[in-house]
Amino acid sequence: MSARNNTDKLICVSVMGQIASPGFPGLPAEPYRLDSDGRAFLLPTYGGIVYNVSVGDSAYGWLADCIHPGVSISLKDENGNRGLNLLACVGNTAMVMSGDAKGAKGVVTGKSGRFSEHVILHFSPADREKMAIGDKINIKACGVGMTLADHPDVKLKSCSPELVDGLEVTTGNNGSLNVPVTAVIPPHLLGAGAGLTSEGGSLHIQTQDRAEIARLGLDQLRLGDIVALEDFDSSWNHGYLRGAIGIGVIGQGDSPRSGYGPGVTLVMTSMKGGINPVVTAGVNIKEVFNLQA
Amino acid sequence: MQLRTNESRLVAMAVNGAISQPSLRYPGYTLDSQGVGSVLPGMSGVVYNARVGDPAFGWAADHVEPGVSIANSDPAPDMALHYLTCMGNRAIVISGMAKGAEGIVTGEHARILVDFAPDTNDLLCVGDTIQIIAYGRGLLLEDFPQIEIKKMSPRLLHNMGITVSADGKHIRVPVTMELPPRIMGSGAELNSEFVDQDLMSGDRDLMAQLGIDQMKLGDIVVIPDADHHYGRGYRKGAAAISLCIHGDSVMTGHGPGILTLMTATDSVIEWVIDPNANIANYLNIRENV
Repeated sequence: MSARNNTDKLICVSVMGQIASPGFPGLPAEPYRLDSDGRAFLLPTYGGIVYNVSVGDSAYGWLADCIHPGVSISLKDENGNRGLNLLACVGNTAMVMSGDAKGAKGVVTGKSGRFSEHVILHFSPADREKMAIGDKINIKACGVGMTLADHPDVKLKSCSPELVDGLEVTTGNNGSLNVPVTAVIPPHLLGAGAGLTSEGGSLHIQTQDRAEIARLGLDQLRLGDIVALEDFDSSWNHGYLRGAIGIGVIGQGDSPRSGYGPGVTLVMTSMKGGINPVVTAGVNIKEVFNLQA
Repeated sequence: MQLRTNESRLVAMAVNGAISQPSLRYPGYTLDSQGVGSVLPGMSGVVYNARVGDPAFGWAADHVEPGVSIANSDPAPDMALHYLTCMGNRAIVISGMAKGAEGIVTGEHARILVDFAPDTNDLLCVGDTIQIIAYGRGLLLEDFPQIEIKKMSPRLLHNMGITVSADGKHIRVPVTMELPPRIMGSGAELNSEFVDQDLMSGDRDLMAQLGIDQMKLGDIVVIPDADHHYGRGYRKGAAAISLCIHGDSVMTGHGPGILTLMTATDSVIEWVIDPNANIANYLNIRENV
């Protein structure tokens, strides 16, 4: 049985951002970050137009720190950026409103958290070629407020009606919500983002212990994969709670830093374990939204 | 076997801050794990009745900072206050009615936390300047260079009952309890030279089951399988010896604040459970904690 929802009552509202420039700290111009063994590194990180990394590609192996696939946008006005980060939902459509790519259509694929606060969008590689930093991109934000009638314990966040439909979630015989996922992440591997907001931002898989990541097959994750978060409640902030379960999208790539790794954009959570993750190969929003890369 | 250190080569340096005013943002609510808002005190100011040695849980407060919280209003000197101050350092009141009184550094949160005697607290005013004799950065154990020491004064290091194994290959540190790595939460996004990481206390049944709800402010604890060298992350076989610096929180992903004192990635650090492993005892802050 597919899950009944209240999409006919949801508001669809514009939120706008501009393509964000990559940024580094100012003087004394020390651009390095330290990896988990204390070695300094200088690599591309958040922001900008990323030409050669897209949803569907591996989350690992890029010479980058938490790379955002596709295009990252933000708004310089802090309150306005909060509105953008809170209301944009994974699966919402976006359109370029200025510059040479004017009229190009894209899709929201993720969000980043503390220290960058971007919304991450997929556009075709051809459209990315025409874009410039600073171009305005408007999103038809729709999804905040969505509920599932038969699943009052399940909270939806950053989740569009298209994502719920595309994932083909169902109500199981025991009343829980069946959600297909590529992997289940155990709580000891969830790091940066714990204790921070779950209405936007990101919660990171921590990958310092490479042997543990490989043992669990998590080194096979792709950008855009749907994953489950075990024993983590994201009803208000992200935090440990036995029996709780979350669902998220891999929105950002791996990181060399301690406590960091692929960033997860939270889309569903149940404090009482009312979500049943069904491990299924290849559940990725590239296929769900038929994205061209 | 004696712990050999390089402390004769450490620099002692003054840093200072002023007693901070508690501040709240409109409308003042903190959301708990059920999404219910309440207005709670806790951070900043002079806290008269929650002190190192008291319970970390149970206060009608959020992230309560025991004793006196100080900060420097100039960002660069404030970072120096954060990065150079070590646990157990001396703190001296240099302005106001309590001028000349001496206290002890007991924590680092968004502000530096200092314990003074209750009689001194009565004379302190928000804005009074407190100077710290920062001493401890660069400290290492000559026989265990693979152990990273962070924000620990030589005084605390020598008073926390550390012993060396007979074969000279391990140190053994008394701790009140072990914290499982899966409950380590807010603060994972920060580097481990800055402030603390909250244990996530939201699973109340688990806190009671493991006895974590008996934690006291100032307790020395261990997190097995945690590497705190350059951040705070999961790494099998590593360990982090840490200090409880602030009280519990109602917020999901938060709880008592745990500050790194030493960490190693191999098994060189061992520990033994000791209910008296608290800096109130080690630094003679209070009796019979």
